[in-house]
Amino acid sequence: MKRMKAVIVKEFAHILRDPISLIIVFLMPVLMMFIFGYSINFDMERVEAGIIDFADSETSQKLVKKFINNHYFVVENLEEKYPAPIEAGEKLLKAGKLKEVIIISTDFSENIKNRRRAEIGIIIDGSDSNVANLVYQYNERILLDFISEYRNLDELLKIHTNVLFNPELKSAFFFVPGLIAILLVMISALLTSLSISREKESGSIDLLFISPLKSPEIIIGKTIPYIFVSLIAGSIILLFARFWFGVPVQGNLVVLLLFSLLYIITSLSLGILISTIAPSQKIAMFATLLITLLPSIMLSGFIFPLESLPPVLRAISYVVPATYFLRIIRGVVVKGAELRHYISEGTALVIFASVLLTFASIKFSRNRKKAK
Amino acid sequence: MRIRYLVKKEFIEIFRQKELLPMLFISPLIMITILGYIVKTDIENLPVDIINLSKNKAAYRIINRIKQTPLFNLKHVFYESRDTIDTLKKGDVKAVIVFRDSLEKPLSKDAPARYPEIQVLMDGVDSNTSAVAAGYFNGILKNYILTDIGRTDIGLPVEAKTLIRFNPELKSINYMGPGIVALLLTILALFFTSISIVREKEQQTLDTLLISRLRPIEIYIGKAVPMAIIGLIHMFAGLTVVMLWFKIPVRGNLLYLLVAAFIFLGAILSYALLISILASTQQQALFFSWFSMVTFILLSGLFTPTQNVPVGLQFLVKINPLAYLIKIIREIFLKGNGIEYFYKDLLSLAVITVVIMTISLLNFKRFISK
Repeated sequence: MKRMKAVIVKEFAHILRDPISLIIVFLMPVLMMFIFGYSINFDMERVEAGIIDFADSETSQKLVKKFINNHYFVVENLEEKYPAPIEAGEKLLKAGKLKEVIIISTDFSENIKNRRRAEIGIIIDGSDSNVANLVYQYNERILLDFISEYRNLDELLKIHTNVLFNPELKSAFFFVPGLIAILLVMISALLTSLSISREKESGSIDLLFISPLKSPEIIIGKTIPYIFVSLIAGSIILLFARFWFGVPVQGNLVVLLLFSLLYIITSLSLGILISTIAPSQKIAMFATLLITLLPSIMLSGFIFPLESLPPVLRAISYVVPATYFLRIIRGVVVKGAELRHYISEGTALVIFASVLLTFASIKFSRNRKKAK
Repeated sequence: MRIRYLVKKEFIEIFRQKELLPMLFISPLIMITILGYIVKTDIENLPVDIINLSKNKAAYRIINRIKQTPLFNLKHVFYESRDTIDTLKKGDVKAVIVFRDSLEKPLSKDAPARYPEIQVLMDGVDSNTSAVAAGYFNGILKNYILTDIGRTDIGLPVEAKTLIRFNPELKSINYMGPGIVALLLTILALFFTSISIVREKEQQTLDTLLISRLRPIEIYIGKAVPMAIIGLIHMFAGLTVVMLWFKIPVRGNLLYLLVAAFIFLGAILSYALLISILASTQQQALFFSWFSMVTFILLSGLFTPTQNVPVGLQFLVKINPLAYLIKIIREIFLKGNGIEYFYKDLLSLAVITVVIMTISLLNFKRFISK
């Protein structure tokens, strides 16, 4: 224990010697949180639509008005502006100025009056499939609204939709806790990934090799100081999320802290394992980025719901620590979930951390033997 | 021509590191293949529970419809009330749908029997998924009701014939694939160039280079060229995968893409230079380039539309070279646009290059003399 303390003190000295890095570690997440908390947003706030109303009757204008009055749409009347409206619409679609063109044919109002099926034509720019999907749904909603003036559907069917935990469907409630998970894993893993590879590069690793310390002692001793650094960084991020973005912490703070600690230790262990394998800082960093950046963003449920992933990738997502922590942090922060809800996720994190640390120790003692 | 030797030295250094090579050349392929499969933004398989307290036959038929749609993955059907909030807190299902018999009497004797009352309890944490799923679900129900009463009536009075241009099947890979190719060009150029300059700084070998007859700008170019070449190789590998494996249509001229890639590399490499001037240790360079990379990626329009970035932060999109490249590459691939549609974006990239490069070079001397 006493010997391990020496490693811890030494590593702390390392950390404090580079105050610029330390400041970066604390400030950068806040800055990123600030930028992304505002900017990552799936909602389409503006759909630029062009309308060509050939019918130009009271009924068709009612439909056009529905689009205009809907706050999502910025409607441009192409017929008034261009002599050849359909061609103009196509061109604007191609240039990305419009997301869709709506064409109402001349017989539209006639058909409705005679209770025949009336059709309207819609051309959507599908190049962004996500946006196209949303635009399509907005259209459907407006059309249903228009239809229900002719036939009252609500009278037949009562649907009450209760949105729990996030009744206003704010994106921030989804992305901000997610960002905490992403930032924590990256900071923690990047920090420790350099800790041993730096010593390899400068040659001071030999001093560690010939010290009387056992390999696990060195590995654990090198990890412990960073727990504090990451915990401080994590608390800063969480405070920022709470007070700047107003994401309420519904659950127990102690529970959140406990799980965060597990997650941080797992991430640090991942970094330290990479550090024992990589011969230089450059490689350690690159490997850490590859292993943490994209899987944590893409395979954890941060943006895309895990349920929609193909089975093979779904399987990979189970070995991404962020997957578990995302569930936990969203549950505890937004839903007010308790410790008992996430026993299995917590266990998974403990298993990850122990396996990673064991591998790191084994690899380190192998390096040591080779050096001797 | 002296630079040639420096470029050679850099390449030797890269190829000397055995651990680095597989990462350099295999990782982009793995990345694009995995990403290609992941980036289905379509919502499917949403796990739901149903609590059916209704004896109405319509409830069974609606449940059957829910079973059939790929949107939902029906986990359990219960026939008694349960604690739904607790279920949702655990997070195993995203929604609980409850059917109850309506207590009101039918409107008239001729009116069809009342449908069960339906309550949908959604987990609103994932706001996007919830909104889309709720929309779909309402659609399913309304369609059901409409066909149910449609037998005696004319059905929907208005129907939209929707035509989707440029990507008719709305495949997300068509949209994401080209964007990921742009990503491949970024990661390495930004990251490795800055790190490798700072590394010489940290190990004091930069001084050796500086007392040689090379001018600072030549040192920088010597560092940047190998990364640009490897970046281009990555891009071509990415293009091959995207075109041959994922079969994404290329409607435009790929030569324009090459032009765009060159100008883009200029911009991204000047950012790398700026980072290497600001940072004095590899760790700092790492954090700076990590920060810029994540910002570039998340604000590039790759995942979420850039128009959602608030006005006050739009400048970050304006100075983000990746945002321009992704826009251009998508226009070339999916819309087949010619240069007349995106020459402004190319100009912006060139302006970014010039501005950032000037800032860096103005500070280059200062940093060395320190």
